[in-house]
Amino acid sequence: MSAGLDSLKHIVVLMMENRSFDHMLGALKAQNPRINGLTGKETNPDTTNEPVKVQPQAEFQSQLDPDPDHHFPAVNKQLFFGTNGPPATPSMQGFVQSYFDQQKDVNHSHKIMYYFTPDKLPVLTTLAMNFAVFNGWFASIPGPTICNRAFAHYGTSFGSVTMDPFVVKAPFQSIYNRMQAAGRTVKLYYYDVASSTMEVVNLLSNQPTLFGTYSQFLSDCTNGDLPEYSFIEPNYTDHEGDGGAELLASDQHPDHDVQSGELFIATIYNAIRQNPDLWKSTALLVVYDEHGGIFDHVPPPACVADAPFVAPASDTGGAPFAFDRLGVRVPAILISPWIAKGTVVPGTEDPANGRVFEHASIPATVTKQFNLPTDPRSAREKAAPTFLDLLGDTMRPDSDCPVFQES
Amino acid sequence: MATPTNVVKIPKPSPGSFNKNRPLAKNTLILNQVKHFREMEMKLPPDQHTGIDGSSIQTEGQAAEYIAKVTKLLHGKTFTAGGK
Repeated sequence: MSAGLDSLKHIVVLMMENRSFDHMLGALKAQNPRINGLTGKETNPDTTNEPVKVQPQAEFQSQLDPDPDHHFPAVNKQLFFGTNGPPATPSMQGFVQSYFDQQKDVNHSHKIMYYFTPDKLPVLTTLAMNFAVFNGWFASIPGPTICNRAFAHYGTSFGSVTMDPFVVKAPFQSIYNRMQAAGRTVKLYYYDVASSTMEVVNLLSNQPTLFGTYSQFLSDCTNGDLPEYSFIEPNYTDHEGDGGAELLASDQHPDHDVQSGELFIATIYNAIRQNPDLWKSTALLVVYDEHGGIFDHVPPPACVADAPFVAPASDTGGAPFAFDRLGVRVPAILISPWIAKGTVVPGTEDPANGRVFEHASIPATVTKQFNLPTDPRSAREKAAPTFLDLLGDTMRPDSDCPVFQES
Repeated sequence: MATPTNVVKIPKPSPGSFNKNRPLAKNTLILNQVKHFREMEMKLPPDQHTGIDGSSIQTEGQAAEYIAKVTKLLHGKTFTAGGK
């Protein structure tokens, strides 16, 4: 066991919303060629059959409006345009055509190929360059939020590929139930009661004491009260707080302000970083739930089927889906002072050494770290790789790790 | 901890980016979140219902107000520190 793993007491997961890897981090390839980002030559055809190149023109807000479609049938088009569909290798050629379907505006459809330059995302790109960035972390399902987040909570979506409430089916339990059954401490922190959680139907309704708020997370960090496993949800809405304060959504879901999400990620990082005992004993994973319909160039690979679950054709808009291939690649960064600066975890671009992660890797990692029972767990969680081996033997000095300050 | 070489400045969001009147229809995530809360509210005893007509929830701000009310009903207990 590495010294970093030996020191580890807390795992914190922050799950953001709806941005693809290339959209947020693709430009980092120019700074570090080991990052599997963009060359600038990637294209998708538009509806006039003209190739549309990726362009560094992403803006913080008012660009991806309407919300790009990322339900199962639309994602199928984004992935398999120009092919016969699964089981063919995804072409990644249908993003522009899919976005065109919503407004029938050729010029507007090109915006789905826009990406951020690193100077616009100082928090996310600094963290990616300073800690471990995953070239091969994929959404669990080629579909929307609720079913993808389910994989982070349960290691499965129980057969759902939609935004509808799903039914938790025995024998599988949430990672929170499993932690509590083992006498471990755990909490889900949502931003505030007005933003609340995306897991209302099962967790909030049946286990409300699992939950805390963002402000409580901050105080738990300061006071050394952080549980062994924490899952954080950003603010999902622009709304007014106590005293009428304007609280910006921080989830980065289109069309919410991306800079607000940057600030939120920084406050989570700083809260851990500013408590020396916590900093040396915590691993923070920042990950996005799915790509939100936005372009990425890496074809999602096949994976172990999530038997016995199969989504019916009525939910997929095509054939039944056995959960045997992953969704689109998303940004994922593991942060700890025990991780070497500039770590890039290879993905599918490296057939010999590449590793493929998905959201079921989260409960799989928590299970391994806290010695939870390995059965019963979903087929996908059992097959999912864990990520704490990235913590090494050397703790980096404070001066070598970034600190974020509002300007 | 903070030295001149490791401090990263973060720009503030634009003052005009807040929009609590953004139509709910523009964000399928919140639209569905409201539906889920509605479903849970209807399972509560009638005397605990919010009395809010679902069709009146048309903006993010209205959704947030509604979600806050139902969350408080579902939560029902004060927060405890650190999951302890």
